[in-house]
Amino acid sequence: MNTASNAQGVGAGAPTNAIDSGYNFAYLDEQTKRMIRRALLKAVAIPGYQVPFGGREMPMPYGWGTGGMQLTASVLGADDTLKVIDQGADDTTNAVSIRAFFERVAGVETTTATAQASVIQTRHRIPEKTLRADQILIFQVPIPEPLRFIEPSEEETRVMHALEEYGVMHVKLYEDIAHHGHIATTYAYPVKVDGRYVMDPSPIPKFDNPKLHMSEALMLFGAGREKRLYAIPPHTRVESLDFEDHPFEIQAWDEPCAICGATDSYLDEVIIDDQGARMFVCSDTDYCNSRSEEKA
Amino acid sequence: MNMTQQISEAVRPHDWPGLADPVHDSQRLFRQLLGAMSEPGTLTELALPALPAGAAISPAAWGALLALCDLDTRVWVDQGLARANLAAALAFHTGARLTDDPALADFALVTPDTLSREDGFALGSDAWPDRSTTLIVMVEALAQGEDWWLSGPGVPGRRGLALGSAERALPLMRVLAANRGRFPRGLDAFISSGMRLTAIARSTRLAGPGLAATDDAERQEESA
Repeated sequence: MNTASNAQGVGAGAPTNAIDSGYNFAYLDEQTKRMIRRALLKAVAIPGYQVPFGGREMPMPYGWGTGGMQLTASVLGADDTLKVIDQGADDTTNAVSIRAFFERVAGVETTTATAQASVIQTRHRIPEKTLRADQILIFQVPIPEPLRFIEPSEEETRVMHALEEYGVMHVKLYEDIAHHGHIATTYAYPVKVDGRYVMDPSPIPKFDNPKLHMSEALMLFGAGREKRLYAIPPHTRVESLDFEDHPFEIQAWDEPCAICGATDSYLDEVIIDDQGARMFVCSDTDYCNSRSEEKA
Repeated sequence: MNMTQQISEAVRPHDWPGLADPVHDSQRLFRQLLGAMSEPGTLTELALPALPAGAAISPAAWGALLALCDLDTRVWVDQGLARANLAAALAFHTGARLTDDPALADFALVTPDTLSREDGFALGSDAWPDRSTTLIVMVEALAQGEDWWLSGPGVPGRRGLALGSAERALPLMRVLAANRGRFPRGLDAFISSGMRLTAIARSTRLAGPGLAATDDAERQEESA
């Protein structure tokens, strides 16, 4: 390399935290990152289409977020601030472990505050606080194919996506109505991206679906076991499938959050004794904490 | 033949700049490319050292190649751009292979004029639209402007671009405007001039002088 011709400013991003030097930055080797990066660019250019990628083994089992972690590892830079949430919480085993993992192998700053994060890896929730254009949300996806429970064959579902043959998805929602009187799908509720691809938004509650529509932030989805990734660029139309006489609705609760009093957030039901008493609290712990602190 | 030609032949592969810190520099460049493709029509500046004298591609295009290419990628290069020993430099720095067959190219280094002559780039298939060529285009100038209007995913409302002479940019914009008619098959493009770079994804709707007004018809159809 001709070092004399290399300009200033290049190489200024070396991490400062204690870092496990036995690994490449952010664990994955550079060629794997480049392969995932090329796939991500395709995913962004074809919103909602599942791009295959050569998924690598991560030091944890499938189902714990290996897809999300590979995307995070490929996107993450030394100057990023990472937040990891699991079911809305920053303090569960999965979230704590993944955060610690990237602290160790990438030396990046981590945070629990949504507003301070530049990259957020998530499982099963979208933060309540509206995301900004300079943030990237990375979803862990168990099963990326929204048609899988209707059509088990990958070959068939691929043809269905190619031909935009999505009638069967509406049949499934209609069967819900026939059985239950309403659409009973409450999570992983299928969406249509930019009027073309039907996409599984990962098992987020349907409460979060409206946050996908015209988001300011880029959203990336990674499925490790299935080795698929997909994306929703910012400012993209994302519609939840529904019927004229059964329009899409999000969950609502009769009571506010028992801790912070929020009436606009997704609430978890928590059993608090052996008599069946219960309370409802925000699933987004950062949102709940910051509201409680504001009040105090 | 002339002075430039002599210099070109004397350029060695390692006279082309590599990345001083390959891990962090390629990550930074990738995030700029990802941002560009996510929000088509926005401009970003790729910080890179000067290219050797006689190089016919832009520093931004070279940066994109350094960040994205390796021994798994095949690159097609327009003959007019293959100056200053570019092919050897690309192989030296990235390990990427060159191909003469545009249908096999993962990336293609082109000018708008190339696209009026060469139309064999891979579009992918309806089932595998990701198996397509990504264009890396050199244009004479790149700025916000009112020649070409972009809308669709990544664009709130619409975004305007100027690529120098609208007439000379037309072959490029015709090819990219045709993406809508064959979506999800299509070509994605990084467009560069000097250090500056923007992107137009195949999902982007384009309007401008000389382009068929399919966009408005489509929008009316969608809202109906």
